[in-house]
Amino acid sequence: MNDMVTLTIPADTAYVALARSVAASMSAHADLPIDQLEDVRLAVDEALSQVIADAPSGSQVTCTYTADGDGLAITVAGASSSGVVPSTGTFSWIVMRALVDEVSADIVDDLLVLHLRVSRSVPVQA
Amino acid sequence: MTSASTWGPQQRAREHDLLRELSALPDTDPRRAAVRDELVTMHLPLVQHLARRYQGRGESLDDLVQVGTVGLIQAVDRFDVDRGTELSTFATPTILGEIRRHFRDRTWAVRVPRGLQELQARMTTTAETLTTQLNRAPTVRELAEALDVPMDDVLAALEARHAYSTDSIDADPDDEGSALSGRIGQLDPAFEAIEEREALRPLLAALPARDQRILALRFGQNMSQTQIAEELGISQMQVSRLLARALADLRAGLTDDA
Repeated sequence: MNDMVTLTIPADTAYVALARSVAASMSAHADLPIDQLEDVRLAVDEALSQVIADAPSGSQVTCTYTADGDGLAITVAGASSSGVVPSTGTFSWIVMRALVDEVSADIVDDLLVLHLRVSRSVPVQA
Repeated sequence: MTSASTWGPQQRAREHDLLRELSALPDTDPRRAAVRDELVTMHLPLVQHLARRYQGRGESLDDLVQVGTVGLIQAVDRFDVDRGTELSTFATPTILGEIRRHFRDRTWAVRVPRGLQELQARMTTTAETLTTQLNRAPTVRELAEALDVPMDDVLAALEARHAYSTDSIDADPDDEGSALSGRIGQLDPAFEAIEEREALRPLLAALPARDQRILALRFGQNMSQTQIAEELGISQMQVSRLLARALADLRAGLTDDA
């Protein structure tokens, strides 16, 4: 299984709920237990607020969700005003790191891209 | 109770006489209404005091006093003079119960359709049963199978929990940060290295003690939501809701400071 969903939203916190819902839905498809599903929802919240905080107004943010055999990978990408990756010492970063298994940030072609990866914590029957 | 403590001995004696009289009157006696009214009026300051604790949560104080008074009347009717407790002590939980129920009914009524409410109630029970059986939290698929509903319905019910804000109402407003207030100077080691720690300190301290504890367990000790639920004796769903709210509060506070 390698199912991918892409969602593009305005860089506006009013649309974060939509990205959160898709995250929950994709977590379900990836057969994550519901406590991990809720963690993913929170992590997407944090990731989006970081990207939106650095995005010029009127720009867009693209979220990509990929459910595979082991879990879920999410990227959140938006135009970056600062052109630098966020500090890994912030509250938001610590929170994301605790909520998912892997977090990293890149600047690619003036876009800030956050990568989140969550693996199923326990074997479940898919 | 606050209102009782401002009373003089005269009022206390009067209350005692009225309660004695009420308990002696037959249910059909027309004098009951007058006695009850006087008792209710005497304790209205208690209702107002309790209602004020729930001010600023989207309901008018008048409405809260009104529903609180319903609780007071119930307490007066059910009060047993031979119990040896004060009426104010006996009435407080009933008054608070009515106020909280009001919020619960309102928040549900506005946002969540009844079918979803019912599914959510069933889902909470099923999730707890499955968690015990599987020794981990269930997946959406497992919940859907156990409840015999589509996965999308389970997702909708999960989502609805976040719209439903009873928790903030159930939490005792007097509890805000108080239990850990002696530890305001200390930050959980997980947060000690954070860049915004000075801004974070008062924000964390302002959270209810239970929320602070949940944050420390999740981010300090890296416990899962299910483990935290077990530790605190609440459901994983509650942990999830409290965690989401606490993080949103902290993020809002940190953004304001920036």
